[in-house]
Amino acid sequence: MANNDDKIICRCEDITEAEVLRAIEQGTATADEVKRLTRAGMGHCQGRTCRRLVNQILARKLGQNPEDQKPVTQRSPLQPISLKILADS
Amino acid sequence: MPKSTDIIIIGGGIIGAATGYYLSRAGYRVQLIEKGYLCAGSTGRCIGGIRQQFTSEGSIKLMLESVRHFSDMKEELGIDVHWHPGGYLFLAHSPEKQEAFLANIAVQQGFGLKDVRWVDAYQAGQIAPGLNIDGLLGGSYCPSDGQAYPFAVVNGYAEKIKSLGGIVNTFTEVTAILQSGGRVQGVKTVAGAEYQADIVINAAGPWAREVGLMAGIEVPVEPERHEALITEGVDYLNIPMLVDYRADGGYFQQFRHNGQFIGCYSPIPNVPGHSTASSYEFLQEMPKRMLKLVPALGPVKVLRQWSGSYENTPDGNPILDRSPLDGFYVIAGMCGHGFMLGPAIGRMAADFIKNGAKEPPVAEFALERDFSSQEAMK
Ligand SMILES: Cc1cc2nc3c(=O)[nH]c(=O)nc-3n(C[C@H](O)[C@H](O)[C@H](O)COP(=O)(O)OP(=O)(O)OC[C@H]3O[C@@H](n4cnc5c(N)ncnc54)[C@H](O)[C@@H]3O)c2cc1C
Ligand code: FES
Repeated sequence: MANNDDKIICRCEDITEAEVLRAIEQGTATADEVKRLTRAGMGHCQGRTCRRLVNQILARKLGQNPEDQKPVTQRSPLQPISLKILADS
Repeated sequence: MPKSTDIIIIGGGIIGAATGYYLSRAGYRVQLIEKGYLCAGSTGRCIGGIRQQFTSEGSIKLMLESVRHFSDMKEELGIDVHWHPGGYLFLAHSPEKQEAFLANIAVQQGFGLKDVRWVDAYQAGQIAPGLNIDGLLGGSYCPSDGQAYPFAVVNGYAEKIKSLGGIVNTFTEVTAILQSGGRVQGVKTVAGAEYQADIVINAAGPWAREVGLMAGIEVPVEPERHEALITEGVDYLNIPMLVDYRADGGYFQQFRHNGQFIGCYSPIPNVPGHSTASSYEFLQEMPKRMLKLVPALGPVKVLRQWSGSYENTPDGNPILDRSPLDGFYVIAGMCGHGFMLGPAIGRMAADFIKNGAKEPPVAEFALERDFSSQEAMK
């Protein structure tokens, strides 16, 4: 089996578990901070796929209670829309 | 009250982080205090543009220096900040703009910005493939201007501060400046903790006025909302940052490292205040402006919009000075150019603090100055 640290957490931005762990070592404690430091969650799906995984790692590493974790800031548009469609809207 | 550091810096944006880095390098123990996460203020909301095309001697020379720092950063900080000299092209659609740019170019070259030049509309189209040159007279082009990734830069500086013996506190809001007998003593945080230091720096960006008032110092910095958007990444088209100063213009660039387009425009009228709300109007309007300049971008999809604050002074120049309260410094009011100015401002601020000079290193940056003149390439 591949080394666990090489596991891709954010498929859109190609961010591995090792990169998320490094961000936590540097002192980040929220998914928002991990997102800004590693870009995990800034990809095409806007974190739909990876947010839960990042939160799980944070919970595991820092003993956070999942219910207490701060939600990541949601930015519109919630689905990618082309410049052309927006310009004509 | 234990004194653990020499210098407390309020604000974990580019200015606080860069200043903290250069002070740490000079041997000071630095405590960087940020009320949110690093880059929570304007720095994490900026579009990462870096240019040397200004009109005042102070700004041009600082930016020549900053570009050197950005290009050395990967080695210096040991982290890829995605510096890329992709250039800036300011577009002139009227004879008045053309004349103004030609005059600026002469000034810029005089202060050492050698590669800035006037290009005609045809050349502009070559430099920026896909640029709509209808009605374009030409532009002011500087290929050594560029881009970098703000989170990486600030994180790189913060890691260096820590490895050089300093402290970085996030989610720690300063609520009071401690002073006695006309000298600053330290700060108090929202949790009630008190930290002592002989020097306290106000690097609170758009909140510099509020932090100044904690020390009884008037800092003329006003926040002004600016919105931005970013697209998905597509193949790199080798287009420089395009700046269109017309009332219905804007500025945008493509990141070299991931192909995303990022851009914004200055709203008319301006929107004063600390709001970072996003508007639907911007989400419709910005794509129109981008497609007017580069029609072929139509299919590229927008991923996110957000907004942040410019931190304006009345004359468009930064403040980098000591204050009437001994030991309390103000380094703020970068007027929407703080990311690019950051490295050089941080270096200059550290030298200023270290050599203990009475007068600020650039007279135009004094805290108490005549604010009536104007930087023209705002
Ligand atoms: C949409 C947009 C696009 C931009 N594009 C560019 C660009 O392309 N190039 C460029 O150079 N500039 C750009 N800018 C401007 C740039 O973002 C700012 O000039 C720069 O980030 C200012 O840095 P700063 O460190 O002074 O402020 P900030 O980054 O705001 O840092 C100040 C920090 O102080 C913290 N703080 C405030 N009060 C307290 C307190 N009481 N206690 C503790 N911490 C506190 C804040 O949380 C904040 O993080 C842009 C800005 C916007 C909004
Ligand atoms: S998987 Fe992380 S943004 Fe899509």
